[in-house]
Amino acid sequence: MITLRATDQPLELQVLASEAGLHPDLVRRLVRLGALDPTGGTRAGPRFTRDAPARLARVMRLRRDLALNLAGAILAGELLDRIDLLEQRLRRYEPHDNRPR
Amino acid sequence: MAVGFRDYYETLGVDRGASEEDIRRAYRRLARENHPDVNKDPGAEDRFKEISEAYEVLRDPEKREKYDRLGQNWKAGQDVSGASGFEGFDFGSGAGGFRDVRMDFGGGDFGGDFSDFFEGIFGRGRSGFGGGRGGGRNGFASRGQDQVAEIEVSLADAAKGGKRKISLADGRDYEVNIPAGVRDGQRIRLAGEGGSGAGGPSGDLFLRVRVRPDPRFDLEGNDLYVDLPVTPWEATLGADGVEVPTLDGNARVRVPPGSSCGRQLRLRGEGMPDGRGGRGDLYATVQIKVPKELSPREREQFERLAEVSSFSPRSRR
Repeated sequence: MITLRATDQPLELQVLASEAGLHPDLVRRLVRLGALDPTGGTRAGPRFTRDAPARLARVMRLRRDLALNLAGAILAGELLDRIDLLEQRLRRYEPHDNRPR
Repeated sequence: MAVGFRDYYETLGVDRGASEEDIRRAYRRLARENHPDVNKDPGAEDRFKEISEAYEVLRDPEKREKYDRLGQNWKAGQDVSGASGFEGFDFGSGAGGFRDVRMDFGGGDFGGDFSDFFEGIFGRGRSGFGGGRGGGRNGFASRGQDQVAEIEVSLADAAKGGKRKISLADGRDYEVNIPAGVRDGQRIRLAGEGGSGAGGPSGDLFLRVRVRPDPRFDLEGNDLYVDLPVTPWEATLGADGVEVPTLDGNARVRVPPGSSCGRQLRLRGEGMPDGRGGRGDLYATVQIKVPKELSPREREQFERLAEVSSFSPRSRR
């Protein structure tokens, strides 16, 4: 199986913007609002994880489709992540019955 | 063409006399419940599209008035294409109608698909009239943005090609056909897999191929070059069946007697596919290697050879 090299390498802001379909200035604004934390790089050239484009795209969808402001969309995204995490944990504690019915 | 009626009021759960505020409130509640980022139910995306389409029409007084002119007695699913009272609507015959009207659908990535019913009344695409939810739209239908990702393949895989599974960081999985002979920097286009369009088609996803260099091979055009280390006696006396690495494994070549360093032995058709059904060649370049340490007997033999040989590589011919 061929793996994407990009999955192993952090993204520069310009690449992140391109993959998220956003203007770099908007990405900078989203970063300032706390939508993402750089995982490395420098202050002038921050780097982001490979899932960052999808996270930003979701923020923008939530903002547009649910009439949220950016701060609200970022909060909604974080809450959705926490719900996902909690549901995953919950599933681990739920009894499974795999017997055929 | 049969076009099923869509009851937008029913979709939003409001009555026909609902105020704009009622409609907005109903939409926001249903959108929160069914937004695909929020609701993981497989049917949520379709429901969200229907809700967005209904809201797109009912939130805009002009569109709502056009929609209401269809009449109040239709039921969801009934074919409206041949009914009376639709003289002003073009259901795709290609003549006039509202073909040039473009909508601000506003559903975004999940709401970009219009129903035939919607497009039959209002045409395809989006426009900015009637304002919009959220900012950032310029009021024109536009194609989605192209996206680029990188895939890395070994030189052997690049030569061989074939189907490969890839996973993008956002969770999308694809089975991609890598063309045999793909080159570093070449892009593989996955049509319509890029960013969603705003009324227009989705962009494309381009996979930029990075061919991982193979330390054994140099690639020039379609030809591959590989070093072929041989002993001094193999170079002098010749040797049969000397192994040469190829992209598919190994091949065996005959080293002719009297082969000096740099002599190239061609293996026809063992290079890279040229994309037109042919292949380049593989050139094995003779590299004479000498032992760093000699046993007493080896040293003796070399010394005897030095005594009896008249060969001088530095003499002029």
